Amino acid sequence: MSAEPDRRQRLLQMAAGAVFLAVAAVLVLIVVNSSGSGTDANIEGAAEVDRELAGIPQHGMVLGDPKAPVRLIEFGDLQCPTCAGFAKEILPPIIESRVKNGEARIDFRNLTIIGDESTPAGAAALAAGEQSRGWNYLELFYRNQGEENSGYVTDEFMRAVAKAAGVKNLAKWNQDRQRLTSKVEQTTAEARELGYEATPSFAVEGPATRGSLQLLGTPETTGALEEAIEAAQ
Amino acid sequence: MKTTSFPSEWTLRRAIAFAAALGIGVATYIAIAESGGGSPVCIAGGHGCETVAKSSYSHLAGVNIAVFGIVGYVLLLAGAFFVNDEARFGGFVVALGGFGYSVFLTYVELFKIEATCQWCLASAALMTVLFLLCATRLIGYAGTGERVRPRERRA
Repeated sequence: MSAEPDRRQRLLQMAAGAVFLAVAAVLVLIVVNSSGSGTDANIEGAAEVDRELAGIPQHGMVLGDPKAPVRLIEFGDLQCPTCAGFAKEILPPIIESRVKNGEARIDFRNLTIIGDESTPAGAAALAAGEQSRGWNYLELFYRNQGEENSGYVTDEFMRAVAKAAGVKNLAKWNQDRQRLTSKVEQTTAEARELGYEATPSFAVEGPATRGSLQLLGTPETTGALEEAIEAAQ
Repeated sequence: MKTTSFPSEWTLRRAIAFAAALGIGVATYIAIAESGGGSPVCIAGGHGCETVAKSSYSHLAGVNIAVFGIVGYVLLLAGAFFVNDEARFGGFVVALGGFGYSVFLTYVELFKIEATCQWCLASAALMTVLFLLCATRLIGYAGTGERVRPRERRA
């Protein structure tokens, strides 16, 4: 006669133990995931990029004074290792000597050629540009670039780059990047109409070009870009 | 003494079966929608479902978590067909696990991904209901043995 209450008591004790374990497990999961020691910590070069771009105005994906007489357009793919090389080696002297003094501005546009992950990556950069952190995003993405189409361009990775780039309103960034996917496709189509199939590709316009774009292809040196800027002035 | 404060186990089992069947439908839709790299369609609009589906949290050990959801709901549905302590306790444990993981995923959606997927929230709500139903069933009828109807229980 006492077996039934005993069994009931034992089952309820086990259930209470299971509830305790479940609460503990959920708390541990939440604490581990909120510690911030995950993807954010893996983004490198934020301080270096901040130094490089300090004091330079950014409007959308345009770096430099919007009234600068020369506009250098870069068509790039965030997954492209050559673009990353340009961002680290070729462009910094241009930014230092031509953009900071107001001679030129650089207008980044997406030309996606590497693969499917290039489009969300490019849209995420444009969304950062909506908060005037587009170039910080670009430079940081390049510095933390993974292997092409390897699946590293996750939402977490892009969010961590945005956070490290100083994007203040991440919720807005998240909404904007969905909306701006079509813009990435649009600039890619425009670049192809210019005959560009490789990244990075450049074009320049200024007083000397009389409003028309001068196509530069992929200059191999900083000097070649500087000459093009001077010629366009 | 009658256990008048609890619904009959028959009623609870029917409610569990109904909620579990709904859960199977929701989880199956999410799994199918995400199987080809896509995402569920957010009926209320927005891109929350896509954002959540493409986040790393949508998979566990390489398996879409909707698949785990389907397994859980199927176990809960099966448990509703048996009237014994194994089914009551097993159902409670499965619902507890599902509910706990739903709480974690909802936290992740709100504070990590910063996007919400209405299908995931629907599944979380169903798991919450199932947890309450299974807990009520276990507390009300544990130890009553097989084929003992609630009105026959003794204190």
